[in-house]
Amino acid sequence: MQFTIEDRGTYTEVVANGRLNMVSAPTLRSTVDEAVGAGSRHIVVNLASTDFMDSSGLGALIGCLKVARQAGGDLRIACAQKQVQMVLELTNMNRVLAPYATVEEAFARD
Amino acid sequence: MTVSPPERRALVIEDDPDIRMLLTSLLKREGFLVTEAGTVREGVEAARRGVDIITLDLNLPDGDGLDACSQIRPISDAYILMITARGSEIDRLQGLDTGADDYIVKPFSPRELVARINSLFRRQNRQLAASTAATEADTNERQRAAQVQQSLLPRHGVELPDYDIAGEFRPSRAVGGDFFDWYPTPEGMHFTVADAMGKGMGAALVAATVRAVLRSTAEEPDLARAFTSAAASLDADLERASSFVTLLHGRLTASDGAVDLIDAGHGLALHVSPDGSWRRLASGGVPLGTVPGWDWEVMSVTLAPGDALAIISDGLLDIYDTLDEFAAAAAGVVAASASSADACGKLLILAEDPRVEDDVTAVVVRRSTGAGA
Repeated sequence: MQFTIEDRGTYTEVVANGRLNMVSAPTLRSTVDEAVGAGSRHIVVNLASTDFMDSSGLGALIGCLKVARQAGGDLRIACAQKQVQMVLELTNMNRVLAPYATVEEAFARD
Repeated sequence: MTVSPPERRALVIEDDPDIRMLLTSLLKREGFLVTEAGTVREGVEAARRGVDIITLDLNLPDGDGLDACSQIRPISDAYILMITARGSEIDRLQGLDTGADDYIVKPFSPRELVARINSLFRRQNRQLAASTAATEADTNERQRAAQVQQSLLPRHGVELPDYDIAGEFRPSRAVGGDFFDWYPTPEGMHFTVADAMGKGMGAALVAATVRAVLRSTAEEPDLARAFTSAAASLDADLERASSFVTLLHGRLTASDGAVDLIDAGHGLALHVSPDGSWRRLASGGVPLGTVPGWDWEVMSVTLAPGDALAIISDGLLDIYDTLDEFAAAAAGVVAASASSADACGKLLILAEDPRVEDDVTAVVVRRSTGAGA
């Protein structure tokens, strides 16, 4: 799993590639912690290339969401694939982390 | 004190039969007990059974070695030697967080391979000498933790006339984050099925805490109030542990089959009729430890004579594409089983699939057909 960060002006895009699990979850946490530490307030995690997420992966997203909100910002997710959507639906976390269809839409109305 | 070397186990994951045979014979000559696998799927399954070293081909028929590596790493601490056909790949691979310990390029000389493996084990032996005592203590502790965790599970079903109650739990490691619990009450019983984030010791500790806190609320007659107070006292602990717990907690009134349930992001409770038709019980509550102050809704269902309530952890879901497919398969198993214990056993057999990486738990409560007659 690899993460890349892109500054998109009004928000920061974190692209997650591969499997978001116990192995890669800490890297996502530190990537978002760094971005928030560097001043990013609006974070979009692009999950277009995340083909699998387990409970540790979801835990990392929840942790990242808390970090962003504590800093007065927000974290949103975009382009969730089928398996990721199922995990969000099953745990009802889609009520808190609703996936947006595209990265651009995530903060478009703010 | 001398430490006698334990038998060393190797796993060769390689689809080319010639190279596989070569690797196997080389490793056997070095004194390894060798298991062979030709696909990612077989490889992950074999790794789960425990090995010390894995040679992993980068190109396999059902996936690439990187994927295999990321599946193996969470379940095994084996030394992973990645084998690639392209020398140019090595630089790229070393830059990635693949979980592999070393890389070697095909065609490799047998001597080079043996030298790599021996240098690895020399390194390990030095560490071993220093840490054998620590490792033994660690292993003992893990075994103790597994015993403690098993002892926390209810040993028998609750003795309730007209109800058949059973549960089964299979952790993916020595200990896991899943647990189930039940205890009798004057009206019937309370029960819980939960899954703490992650695997291993950390998850097991969180699970044990949740079990204790929920039990402490048993005397509170109002389910919503009991649950809210348990959640509030767990929030800070879960926050500190960077963890969360999905769970389903319910109360059964034996006389009329009424069940009040709270779903905290568990999502896999099925109300199964004797003909196999089913309804998934979901109320939209989030897991414990995710949103402080969440207001969980209480769902009410009634078990008619012959009806069952089946609660299954998400481990089994790894096999199915959709929730409905999963629910239909599980409901079919429950309806066709002679007893609740039989149903749990069969649900766990469904989970004996290499795609299931997580802990798996099943609890079934069935009201007997003659009840209320």
